[in-house]
Amino acid sequence: MFFHIVLERNMQLHPRYFGRNLRDNLVSKLMKDVEGTCSGRHGFVVAVTGIENIGKGLIRDGTGFVTFPVKYQCVVFRPFKGEILEAVVTMVNKMGFFAEAGPVQIFVSNHLIPDDMEFQSGDMPNYTTSDGSVKIQKDSEVRLKIIGTRVDATEIFCIGTIKDDFLGVINDPTTV
Amino acid sequence: MRCHCISPHSNCRSVFTCSACTSLCVVCFKFCRPNQLFQMSDKGGKAGSLLSSKGSLKGKDDSAAKAKARKVQFSTEGLESIMSNGAKSGGKVDKVANGGKSSAAKDPHQNEHRVDQELPENFKCLMDCEAAVMLQGIQDHMVMLSRDPAIKIPASFDKGLHYAKSSSKHSNPESVRNILEPLKNHGLTESEICVIANVYPETADVVFALLPSLKGKRGINSQPIEDSMNELAKLKQPM
Repeated sequence: MFFHIVLERNMQLHPRYFGRNLRDNLVSKLMKDVEGTCSGRHGFVVAVTGIENIGKGLIRDGTGFVTFPVKYQCVVFRPFKGEILEAVVTMVNKMGFFAEAGPVQIFVSNHLIPDDMEFQSGDMPNYTTSDGSVKIQKDSEVRLKIIGTRVDATEIFCIGTIKDDFLGVINDPTTV
Repeated sequence: MRCHCISPHSNCRSVFTCSACTSLCVVCFKFCRPNQLFQMSDKGGKAGSLLSSKGSLKGKDDSAAKAKARKVQFSTEGLESIMSNGAKSGGKVDKVANGGKSSAAKDPHQNEHRVDQELPENFKCLMDCEAAVMLQGIQDHMVMLSRDPAIKIPASFDKGLHYAKSSSKHSNPESVRNILEPLKNHGLTESEICVIANVYPETADVVFALLPSLKGKRGINSQPIEDSMNELAKLKQPM
């Protein structure tokens, strides 16, 4: 789910960036440092939407660097356990399938796929019901529920399930 | 660089790692105590890997959680999410392998989807349609910024924008917000309202099936949810 939050960060700026464009340089550096990063607390920082406040800079002893406390607003994407969301299948194998929801990867194990769906290997591996009415393959859109998350230094990885009511395929690319 | 600090959370009976950068329990979203250090030993495969590592988890509550070895188990066989706190709760384990029915807590739906309770106050939930509008505006600005070769648009921004646009089912976020906002008066949280807007269920029954945390309040707010779904149906953007 997307969130709009306020974060604070101490930005260090080299003296070469001082001058009348100091604020612009600070904001550019903030965006370069922060956008695209991921943390366990906030999730993926998708975009910086604005600067709330830039505090007074403190010169660091021994160097010419100056540290500015910057408060900024940003859009983050953070999945949480129990969330229902729609994802696009990116890969299918006999262990389950991988799906993507924004910058987050989700894995759905074959144990969390309904029992009436079987894995079919081939050029386009997929999970299909016995009557062939429902198929999960690459580029299918599925509604799933997040049951667990794990955070690395740079990404969030989730485990999902489609075994509950009203979960599963919502859009089969072959029928579009 | 991996952290080896583990801290238990008695209210969710789970044990997760915490580190300088990931100090948030992903179950109850409370921060780990920074001074509690435990050894986490791994057996067979990468530690913390959800797909391959196997070990055993013996969770205990906070009062007993000092300098004891913990092992975290993520098993693909039934994908049992091990959140045992045997000493306190009688050893019930939350199993999500079969039909997603949790029996770990007295009210298994109580702890689900309660992210609002643990998020800081300045966390504002956004519906996908609202995020799409916001990110599209930023992208329009980025078109100008992208002429500067030093500025690179991160991949997560493109993915986030594409996801927000594709999952957004409503063309007018304000109307959706106006329709769903009154549900707060009937006990729904901000995050539940956002999930309803994002998933766009057809009926109130679907809402209650997808959001088990509402089940305890079913007798109170099923009618307002039905009314809101009917209003949303009128707004549905043409395909």
